[in-house]
Amino acid sequence: MFNKARTLKDILWFFIFFGLVAGIFRLWFGLGATTNLTDSVPWGLWKVLNMIAGVALSTCGFTIGLLVYVLKIEKFKPFVKPAILVAFLGYGSSCFALLFDIGLPYRFWHPLFMWNEHSFLFEVFWCVMLYFSVTFIELMPNILEKYKLKRTVGFLHKITIGVVIIGISLSTLHHSSLGSLFLITPYRLFPLWYSSLLPVYFFTSAAGCGIMFLIFVKILYSKLYNPASVFGEQTNGKAPVVCSINKNDQNTVTKEYGKDIPMLSSLCIIGVSLLAIYLVLKIYDLFRLNLFNTLLAGTWESWIYILELLLTAVLPIVLMIITKSRRSPYGLGTAAFSASLGLALNRLDVGIIGYFRDAGSAYFPSLTEWALSIGVIAAATLVFLFVAENFSIFDEQWKVYKINKGIFKASFDSISRVWQAALQSGLQRTTIIGVFVLPIAFILMYPQYESDKGINVVPASGLNTIRSVLIINANTPGMSTEFPHLKHQETLGKEQSCIECHHISLPDDKSTPCSRCHRKMFEKTLIFNHEMHKGWVAADRQIPGLQPENKTCAICHLPGLPKDINSAVGCMECHKEDIHVANTLNLPKQFLYADSYFYVMHKRCIGCHQERKQGVNKPNLDQCSNCHQSYYTQYETKKELYGSLASD
Amino acid sequence: MVAVLMDITKCTGCEKCVLACIEKNNLNLEKSYFDRITARDGLSSDRFLSINKIDKDRFARLSCMHCLDPACISACLVGGITKSPKGAVIYDPDKCIGCRYCMLACPFHIPRYEWNVTKPFMKKCNLCYDRIKDDELPACVEACPNKAIVFGDRNKLLKQAHRTINSKPEKYLQHVWGEEEYGGTSILCISDIDLAKTGWSDKPVTPIPHLTEPLIEKTPVLGLTAGSFLVGLNWIIRRRMKFAGQNDKTKNQTKKEDGQDDV
Repeated sequence: MFNKARTLKDILWFFIFFGLVAGIFRLWFGLGATTNLTDSVPWGLWKVLNMIAGVALSTCGFTIGLLVYVLKIEKFKPFVKPAILVAFLGYGSSCFALLFDIGLPYRFWHPLFMWNEHSFLFEVFWCVMLYFSVTFIELMPNILEKYKLKRTVGFLHKITIGVVIIGISLSTLHHSSLGSLFLITPYRLFPLWYSSLLPVYFFTSAAGCGIMFLIFVKILYSKLYNPASVFGEQTNGKAPVVCSINKNDQNTVTKEYGKDIPMLSSLCIIGVSLLAIYLVLKIYDLFRLNLFNTLLAGTWESWIYILELLLTAVLPIVLMIITKSRRSPYGLGTAAFSASLGLALNRLDVGIIGYFRDAGSAYFPSLTEWALSIGVIAAATLVFLFVAENFSIFDEQWKVYKINKGIFKASFDSISRVWQAALQSGLQRTTIIGVFVLPIAFILMYPQYESDKGINVVPASGLNTIRSVLIINANTPGMSTEFPHLKHQETLGKEQSCIECHHISLPDDKSTPCSRCHRKMFEKTLIFNHEMHKGWVAADRQIPGLQPENKTCAICHLPGLPKDINSAVGCMECHKEDIHVANTLNLPKQFLYADSYFYVMHKRCIGCHQERKQGVNKPNLDQCSNCHQSYYTQYETKKELYGSLASD
Repeated sequence: MVAVLMDITKCTGCEKCVLACIEKNNLNLEKSYFDRITARDGLSSDRFLSINKIDKDRFARLSCMHCLDPACISACLVGGITKSPKGAVIYDPDKCIGCRYCMLACPFHIPRYEWNVTKPFMKKCNLCYDRIKDDELPACVEACPNKAIVFGDRNKLLKQAHRTINSKPEKYLQHVWGEEEYGGTSILCISDIDLAKTGWSDKPVTPIPHLTEPLIEKTPVLGLTAGSFLVGLNWIIRRRMKFAGQNDKTKNQTKKEDGQDDV
């Protein structure tokens, strides 16, 4: 069972190294290069999953505090320490991830001194910060106990009840305020999720799912370290199959499945009751806002909404109603996991997915975002395991199960030699994982998006004459539209019309966007790519006896002369077949500079438009606005025009 | 309070206002209009103003609307967005922490972010507040050749707008966009076609901060109520337990466990 913990730690370290690289890239290259966030979707995974969902899953600190210290239900006392630890790590990791999300991390302290009391985000900041301090104070006695600082511990114990009550008040405020954050977006958030009851939803679901998450943590922890307490005494490595349904014989059940099950089960019932309140509120809200049409419209939002409700509330409630699953660790674990997952999905819906329809564009987090997000969670889990192993958090009896530390230490084994033994040492295993993961993470996540190089021109691609549809990017990288090529050919005048679009064709690029050559807006650009030719000429043309990159000069540059433009042969020498128009036009020897996009478009288009506006009786033909349209309107008109063409 | 009145029928879409804005704000002229990060309406961290074709021969200006009761000011947690005495909504880069809540809050989707730099700030039109405080015209208004956008006192412009649409009822739609929307904006529009599609939603009249600000005023009360309620509850439970303990300690414990342990 300790090997399981070791494997888990290795996996966690794997994600931590990934997250480490992601974090460095984020700070070094900025948000645009490392994330998929856009002006349309400004809030992404880090803020919504790590911060909003992470904080919501860490509510167990205050719910257990409420049950044990305020309502004096002493039977839940064993859960107090783990709950506080989960809360502390949950809030800590959330705030840590948030540091990477905000644009200027070094200014994170600004809200301390610069106040705007009208902002819910301001309230959330203060409450989360204060509550984080509260969990720290609550956690301290557990840590300090080990170091025998009795006076400090005694003092901290004395103020516990006060601190707990402050903590509960702060939690009530900031969990509802996290929901209120989205009240400011009434016309942007999808109507299924927007409701004036958002703060109430966030509070009840967070309180319920926080308890469920604690149960999930407890079951996982027991699975790793102390299966007997939850899964019962195991025989031959298998969990007991028989479960007594006899209600009168409670003792049998507890014996079959470990002593903690009744406690977990009653805790789970409290959590599920909160979720039931949440479910009832949600359904009431559907009636109140009359949203059943939206719910049953069959849009993907409605499906996600239904899935989210099933996971968060319905499945756990059903599992708790069934007696058999209520008394088994598997039933409890499934319910707890489902509720936690559903809560995370709900926060993602309200924070990200609900805005897609309004923004008009979707968002999927980049690898870097996932890496940092999961890395931070992995780090929190690792710290959790560390604290749980070294301090008495879950069980006073923990000292009985105390790890045999020798198993982790590197020891030289004379038979199996060093290698096998070394892998058993935690530090060395981690180092090996790091050595493997760091370069892979570096290569995978190195930002591709560089802003300084101007337009990233993608050649027109996807020409398929059979389907008669051409995909062109129309000088808007990242977006493309269908272009019915054959239809255009017919309307513009059969085969003679090619030249109207194909002004000039570069090798392997049969039709090009204008900006392929006219790359810059207001400056001339060199279109001859020397580097590319140097490397590819030999390889592409398959000239025998020449190696790429080192002996290709002689192909273009005449021998004996300095290697510059004058000594090079003309483009047409090689590209006669590529450039069809070369035979009919009087072209210069080399294409060196392409005029600016501005110049070319104005000369090439406007001249013609001005000439022909009288002929075709269209006086508005030379108006600037014919070409200067926003992308949106271009898109709309294209859709109208080519949509009708394509359907013909 | 100042405002800008735009007559959609007069705009030819020449985009001279956009060029003037770029010059005034030292923006990057060569920056591509569209990439992965910018939205389709033409605004980006290098374009504070854009002209969009909304219909055949009809163009609308898109920029910060300088609402009278802006959602972004209410949203910014450090108070980095303020309203100047003349009514321009101004952003203070020295306070900003980069949370991007203003971008989420704005009902017109106006604030843009400098995604491509490592020290990013929010970018948007500031109505040339440094020029209008000296009674100069904003750069875009100055550049317009057709006088399609005019600048002046908001009340006077509103009167002028109503006079115009009343004098030619067959030409203009009887609505001044920006008069009431979201509590009123400083960019007013009159038009002969419906602008509801172009960011001017036709429903809301209440300012967005009115949805949140009454709530947030209640939060200290809520916190104190919750706290004192819990203190009271705790006191009652302790007292009851104390009395119960005096009577019969063991009985109390078993009773409690029975009450809870109904699994």
